Amino acid sequence: MADTANFERDAMQYAPQLYSAALRMTRNPADAEDVVQETFLKAYRGYGTFKEGTNLKAWLYRILTNTYINRYRKQQRRPSEVELGELQDLYLFKRLGEESGAERSTEDSVLETMVDSDIKEALESLPEKFRMPVLLADVEEFSYKEIAEILDVPIGTVMSRLHRGRKALQKKLWSLAEQRGLTGPGK
Amino acid sequence: MKAECDHAVDYLYQYIDQELTWSRRLRIRWHLQRCGRCLDAYEFESRLKARIKQCGNDQPPQELFDRIRALIEQEAAGNQDG
Repeated sequence: MADTANFERDAMQYAPQLYSAALRMTRNPADAEDVVQETFLKAYRGYGTFKEGTNLKAWLYRILTNTYINRYRKQQRRPSEVELGELQDLYLFKRLGEESGAERSTEDSVLETMVDSDIKEALESLPEKFRMPVLLADVEEFSYKEIAEILDVPIGTVMSRLHRGRKALQKKLWSLAEQRGLTGPGK
Repeated sequence: MKAECDHAVDYLYQYIDQELTWSRRLRIRWHLQRCGRCLDAYEFESRLKARIKQCGNDQPPQELFDRIRALIEQEAAGNQDG
């Protein structure tokens, strides 16, 4: 059992990361702050049930995720939450390969010229079901098993959503690169 | 080589995520050492993943920390009173 006296010392270090994740979930700074604040309050109240020596970061992300889902569930029933279409594997790599032919440089330069706001926009464009696993795996570097526990879904579900979410993310990055004129011959 | 390329592509992300068993991991690594195109794909996807990770760096406003601390103190004080 964890002692609440240590809560601030142990948990506050994760506040910036949790805020960043909340921002990708809510897409809005005011809502992200609310979600993080509520997460810490719930975590403090439940700290007695946290087993010391287990994964505090994953435990906090689980509370964050549940807080977000409970707060915004009603708003999420939007048409954009439907399934993603079928996309080829390694979508971005292959599209860039088609553009540049044998030249390797395009693939690398697109990654270099992509700015943070493109990647954030692409992440935020994903339906929530796919956004969460991608966020937890690629930004937070949780293992599949940890993600399954955080999202409370089977590990196979994590893997298939991650797989499809990443392809959709790459498709969005491709369209952003196209809009910015980063693709095409000679680029 | 084609079947090995398909296999490598199927498991590429699990390889990057370090979620494969030792034997599967070895099979992919073996293939990547021999196939330039798959190695390019591996390097590209690894760099993309690293690039996505860099986006988890939004700084919360200082007031958020202050508010959380105040909430916790309030909660702690409430517990002592009750």
